[in-house]
Amino acid sequence: MRSLFSLSIALTAMSTNLYAAEAGMPQLDPTYWASQAFWLILVFLILYIAISKFYLPKIKDNLDNRENKIKEDLEYANKFKEQSEAKAKEYDIILKNAKKEVSKIHFESKNILDKDIQSKKEIMEKDIEKEILKAKKEISELKKNSMTSIQSISESIVSDIIENISGNKLNESSIKATVEDISKKNINKYL
Amino acid sequence: MASNPMEQFTVHRIGPEIKIAGIDLSFTNASLFMVISASIILLFLFFGSKEKKIIPNKIQLIAEIFYNFVAKMISDTAGSKAKPYFPFIFSLFMFVLFCNMVGMLPYSFTVTSHIIVTLIMALFIFVAVTIIGFLKHGFKYLKIFVPSGVPAILLPLITIIEIISYLSRPVSLSVRLFANMMAGHTMLKVFGGFVVSLGILGGWLPLGFSVALTGLEILVAFLQAYVFAILTCIYLNDALNLHH
Repeated sequence: MRSLFSLSIALTAMSTNLYAAEAGMPQLDPTYWASQAFWLILVFLILYIAISKFYLPKIKDNLDNRENKIKEDLEYANKFKEQSEAKAKEYDIILKNAKKEVSKIHFESKNILDKDIQSKKEIMEKDIEKEILKAKKEISELKKNSMTSIQSISESIVSDIIENISGNKLNESSIKATVEDISKKNINKYL
Repeated sequence: MASNPMEQFTVHRIGPEIKIAGIDLSFTNASLFMVISASIILLFLFFGSKEKKIIPNKIQLIAEIFYNFVAKMISDTAGSKAKPYFPFIFSLFMFVLFCNMVGMLPYSFTVTSHIIVTLIMALFIFVAVTIIGFLKHGFKYLKIFVPSGVPAILLPLITIIEIISYLSRPVSLSVRLFANMMAGHTMLKVFGGFVVSLGILGGWLPLGFSVALTGLEILVAFLQAYVFAILTCIYLNDALNLHH
């Protein structure tokens, strides 16, 4: 709409005072039209050649370079990422294996230790049993010995007491028999 | 002199008169500002593409933004077939943009505010697009005037409208740019004149308008360059990809 309006204005202006431009628009004075056309074509041609031959290829090259560089860098980054991921996986596997080995070693050593402890325990128990048996034997022997010594001591004490009380010596064999009899009766009380 | 807002558009000769075969081809202030705009573009692109850094510096970044901007514009509107015309559209966009922007500087001359300049560019685009269309599609290119899916009764009318709209392309393309630039600069001049004539007491209001208009005109300068380039892409798209 605006362009149509301005078009009509320009056309009326052109038709009314085409050759009386001093009165209105200097644009419609045809004196320098040829000159303007000539210089426009010349300047624009030079500009066009310079831009299309020199500057645009340069700018395009630069833009392409940047795009390629970014693409390459991204590729590199992706590659490195993949590598690091692979390494991390490897590391994980190694870690897992190591853990397995550790638990295996742990288990084995525990087993060995258990066995060792078991066998040592058995040996110790046997030793202890032997010792206990020995001690029991000694104790029973001591008991027997003590019995005989107690009897002889009590016999001598009895004969002494009787001698002191009555002034007579009693028959040793009868004393012995009596002591034996009494001690046998009461031995369970003390032993 | 300052009171005439159209004064800024006058073309005058700089240096000697050059006449070739009776035609005056003298170097004018319009030519000077064409050369200045083109030189700024070339300098900018020279520094923008001098150092090929992976991480660009500021000027390189701006050049690359322009490149990507135009490349995206072409691929969005005309598709991948339009790639060979990328340098032309890039040059066109840069030239129109920098001419508009240089014209925004005080005491400068706006090349694109002259109908002859925009008309030559638009006519060149029109002729080139038509030739490309006929080269790519032969006489099938005339199908562009006969849209598909139109009832048979309306077809003659639609075809006539299509032909008129096709033929008015160079006029609308050139007048749009020319009229926008001329109108904006005339307005700036008029408000500038008000500032001077109203003096220190009443000049503040038009001065504020002037400042606001300058911002608007910078936007228009960019927008019209963009519109010029994108319409070229659309015409090119019609010629390359026959849709009708």
